Amino acid sequence: MADILINVIIAFLAGSLLLGLHRKIMARVQKRPGPPVIQHLLHSLKFFFKETAFPKTVSMPFYIGIVFILAAVWIVGVIVGPVTKGSLLILFGVYAVYKIVEHNAGSSSGSPYGKASCVRAVLSAATELPLFAAVVLVYLKTGSMNISSIIAYQSVNGPLILSIPLAAVMFFILLLSKSPYSPFGITKDKALISGFETEHFGLLRGYIMFAESISWYVMMWLFLTIFFPPLSAAGYLIGMLVITFITAFINATTPILNPNHSVMTQITLGAVCFIGTLIMIFI
Amino acid sequence: MDFVTLGGNLFGTIPLGDIVLYVTPLNLFLFGVLIIFTLLIAISKTETQVEATLMKLSNTNVKVGKSEFKQRRFLAVICGIASAGAMITGDLFNFTLFMALIGILNIGIVSAVKQTTVLNSAYQYGLIAMMCSLPLFGGAAIILASTGTLSLFELSQLPPNPMVIFGAVLMLLGILGESGVAPFFASKAEMFRTPGSPFIVIIHLSSLFIIVRAVEILLLVLG
Repeated sequence: MADILINVIIAFLAGSLLLGLHRKIMARVQKRPGPPVIQHLLHSLKFFFKETAFPKTVSMPFYIGIVFILAAVWIVGVIVGPVTKGSLLILFGVYAVYKIVEHNAGSSSGSPYGKASCVRAVLSAATELPLFAAVVLVYLKTGSMNISSIIAYQSVNGPLILSIPLAAVMFFILLLSKSPYSPFGITKDKALISGFETEHFGLLRGYIMFAESISWYVMMWLFLTIFFPPLSAAGYLIGMLVITFITAFINATTPILNPNHSVMTQITLGAVCFIGTLIMIFI
Repeated sequence: MDFVTLGGNLFGTIPLGDIVLYVTPLNLFLFGVLIIFTLLIAISKTETQVEATLMKLSNTNVKVGKSEFKQRRFLAVICGIASAGAMITGDLFNFTLFMALIGILNIGIVSAVKQTTVLNSAYQYGLIAMMCSLPLFGGAAIILASTGTLSLFELSQLPPNPMVIFGAVLMLLGILGESGVAPFFASKAEMFRTPGSPFIVIIHLSSLFIIVRAVEILLLVLG
């Protein structure tokens, strides 16, 4: 239990600071001073103490419940990932719930911005394909869905990023699509204000930001764990800093794509990488 | 392939005659999330969707009527229960039945809506779902014919032969169409424009979780 609690706190703090760093790097690339690195963490904590307001159009208690489910499901992600190193399929399930919550948090408010974000979230289901394909390819290569077994496989046979690099590229595309201000981030396009988060205030927004921080940490942890040889804590830290820097640089220099282009780009990249990896495995 | 490699340690089985349910962390997680969502759907009211009025500087509030609300809530709850069943069943044929039921219920949940775009989307999705029911059941039938069993326990112990692989590929095609995921999701996206957030959540949730479960089942059969 203490292990779970410690890992959740680490995930929240590290995720928040890395998201703050992401914002800072984007600002510096765009020649702006940007907010302090600690700003995302302070915002997250601040919302927990703000007054919570409920629009009169919302679907109760669904509007509240779905936010708590979002926070709970990423705690499950920490348990299955860094704590127990369990099945990749469960983490895929966690990610699937995250997608559901993303679109329904928007639609449950009655806001047209939330609704538009919801429909785009359904379209952006294409981002699940690279993750799904990467998981299957890792399984085909290692013969296991268990993260502990994948770590053991890599300590004997070398890192998977060298043997199936295109699968790692697919997973990285997913990381990129989930990073703030991503060219694929059509659900949080500024034309939709804050997308599905637009009508969530106070405590509810605090839980959403808590979950976003943990999700960023868990997704990067997963990428580093299944594609790189066994890493120390310092190795994970360096890896997460590098990924945050790369995604921030890409996001700072790339405009957001329109929904159709975003979906087609991800599907095309996913298909090319999937077929390429299959060829590398079987030929 | 064994259950432990895919879903974690086997906690136990629940034999109900020839229907054997089994519980691993993966199945438990998927089942638990679906039950929680189903309960939330059962007790939730619908939102009031605010839309801009054409040619006027005002908004229109779109609400779900009482009879429509009852009908859609009933179908959404049944869809949640069917999806939860698909998550823990240990029988290939039961899985395909749950899958077909989910496809029908997904269409039913939006069929009472009086919006042309939504009904068109449901109609297109319905056509795909109907067409894909043939490979879905056909694939399961081929696996039964070539192995003599539909029990996932027994199928996981048998080495795959070409007919099992063919049946599994057919099943995958059927599942992709029935659940309406990529590349068929484009036909389904418009279904989500309707008000009734607690009901449409189960359409997406059932589709995604069915895919996770299908991956587990297909790897068990082919492993």
